[in-house]
Amino acid sequence: MTFNLFRLALKNIRSRRTRSWLTILGVLVGVTAVVALLSIGTGVQEAVLQQFEDIGYDIILIAPTNVAGAARGAIGGFMPGSSMPAGGQFGGRIAARTATQATSSEDTTGGTFSPENLGTSATTDTSGAAAEPFNPEEMRAAFARAAAPSLDTSLLLTQVPQLIEAGTLGTQIQPIETETTSGFLRVSTPSLDFLEAFPSVLGGFQIARGSFFTNTTENQVIVGARSAELLQMAIGDSISIDSIPFTVVGILESGDRDASEEEDVEDGALSGQGLAQNLGTGNSADLVLSGLTNTDDSLFVLSERASEVLVGRAMSAVTITRVQPGASISDTKDAINVAIGIQGSSGTPISIQEVADEIQGTLSLIETVLASIAAVALIVGGVGLMNTMYTAVLERTREIGILKSVGARDGQVMTLFLVDSGLMGFIGGILGLILGSTLSLLGSRLLGPSLGVGSFTPIIDGWLVSGVLVFSFVLGALSGVWPAWRASRLNPVDALAAE
Amino acid sequence: MLVLHDVHKTFLMGETQVHALRGVSLELPAGQFSVIMGQSGSGKSTLMHVAGSLDVPTSGRVEYGGLDLTTLTSRERAEFRSSDVGFVFQKYNLVGNLTAIENVALPLLLRNATTKQANAQAQEALETVGLKDRMAHRPSKLSGGEQQRVAIARALVNDPTMILADEPTGNLDTVTGERILELLRQLTTNEKMVLVVTHNPEIADIADLVIYLRDGKVESQQFQEVTR
Repeated sequence: MTFNLFRLALKNIRSRRTRSWLTILGVLVGVTAVVALLSIGTGVQEAVLQQFEDIGYDIILIAPTNVAGAARGAIGGFMPGSSMPAGGQFGGRIAARTATQATSSEDTTGGTFSPENLGTSATTDTSGAAAEPFNPEEMRAAFARAAAPSLDTSLLLTQVPQLIEAGTLGTQIQPIETETTSGFLRVSTPSLDFLEAFPSVLGGFQIARGSFFTNTTENQVIVGARSAELLQMAIGDSISIDSIPFTVVGILESGDRDASEEEDVEDGALSGQGLAQNLGTGNSADLVLSGLTNTDDSLFVLSERASEVLVGRAMSAVTITRVQPGASISDTKDAINVAIGIQGSSGTPISIQEVADEIQGTLSLIETVLASIAAVALIVGGVGLMNTMYTAVLERTREIGILKSVGARDGQVMTLFLVDSGLMGFIGGILGLILGSTLSLLGSRLLGPSLGVGSFTPIIDGWLVSGVLVFSFVLGALSGVWPAWRASRLNPVDALAAE
Repeated sequence: MLVLHDVHKTFLMGETQVHALRGVSLELPAGQFSVIMGQSGSGKSTLMHVAGSLDVPTSGRVEYGGLDLTTLTSRERAEFRSSDVGFVFQKYNLVGNLTAIENVALPLLLRNATTKQANAQAQEALETVGLKDRMAHRPSKLSGGEQQRVAIARALVNDPTMILADEPTGNLDTVTGERILELLRQLTTNEKMVLVVTHNPEIADIADLVIYLRDGKVESQQFQEVTR
């Protein structure tokens, strides 16, 4: 009997083609939004988690206290590859504020440095407006004020036996000059220990041309692929960093880049502003944070050398440590805190798990908000469906009378209308699933880079598919309950008398 | 046999009470072609609805084959209509988006018949009313007479023992109307009774029993010998 009612319902939908499709469209839009947002949201989360797994949950970061928040956000920059993941993007922005506040509150010299100030000065304005005058001396002083005593990683390894590896990675924004141009670029300063222990953090630090650093006594620089392209650098060329000459000894393999970035490369003016725009990710906080390890856009100078020739310019030097297998992360953090105190340094240990949890929480919140908005669209679709079914009951009153006169029971009439509305919801669900999946696949390619995640795969699993189909059918059926109930309660004689 | 005992039916139209039936008592034997006549508003259609359990009387009792229809639940009345009653209406009352054969098969589909069974029986019923060639047509593509034949086929398809026709020729021309009446007359068998509600006096000539209603009461009833 249900099958027969199903066929009758299908005939009703077909016979009212235009209205049925418009009703289905309402559900379709809602389902499309839900599927696209949920699959993209889950995909982004999976991508971020994967990147954390690539780094390993046995990592503990130690950032100077005044930039601890920034380091927390800067984890995005520690992801393998050159693209800054969503974690860096979202977490970085949040953490950057913390860093700004911390810097301001702890600034005993009364300086006014903040990443925002830096961004203005470093001309990262993406709107294309003219940059404000920039004062290198002011910036240098700001970096010096923001710097914190660095940890002795060799000593740290002996102080904390649970640690098996440690290295530091700093970042600076420096005025650079070549034979043909000048501007500002990020200069990353990894220690040799760091490059040996954590190359994956820098996307493997694969040399495409030239060689690795050969010593710590000469001013050698390894250039990121994009920077090399922008600056038209070749092996053996000279480049001046803050008026100090360096020789290019190597050029890195390129990480992933998307088409829009390629266009930027072609169109970007090779000026201080142009470089900063090309290198930055939208604001000054991102510039600083992602600059920690953005291999494509950075110049690399060994920290051992930088500490001698670029004195007073270090900023956000983060120490990265690896905990030996089986050791308690929490206990190790406690031990690190003790070691930091003994060394007379300052810093806050943060485990990768903490950072991952924080970013996951933020992503989940964003996903929930977006899904809620999409759900509203779905509810609107449901209301549209209810309206259609209510109108259908009014229009089909005589038909209901006919059905009852030939023996249809109240329950059968109600079922017929419920199947009718449920079927429209279900069809809307299927089409919405297809469209939502297509959009999420397209969206992952278009949105990925702008979200800072690079490319990622939206997650459309069995739960999402079955959930959406069941939900859309139930939504359709529920939307039809009241109209169907009204239909079933109609007096057959009155229904037959309807015009 | 259909028996009505002092049946009253009162409607509320706005704040006004309308007494459609005022104590109707009747006995309609099985296997007869009966006609209920009367002017508009005399209660003919209401009587047919009550007889076919499409409506319930305000008071009184309606029995069919010993079964008191007034005690049935809504579900039981629906089942009674499904198994024992076939309705034919003045306006045909076919479902517009279904073809002729689908309209005829509808009562069977509502009784859990398979599509194959329902179609076979519907085809047989349509052949009975002479519409074998118009089975795939929708009502809008059929003439008034053809639509009424489809309606009669639908009323027949469940093999009911009671066929109730409310002004079946009201929307038809004279010739077509006569053919429809002849068809209904032919359906009357020992097991099947046909009750036609009409204000057309010509139908009375072919009826076994003619009942006249006036203002909701039986004014007269007369049995007559009709040559079949």
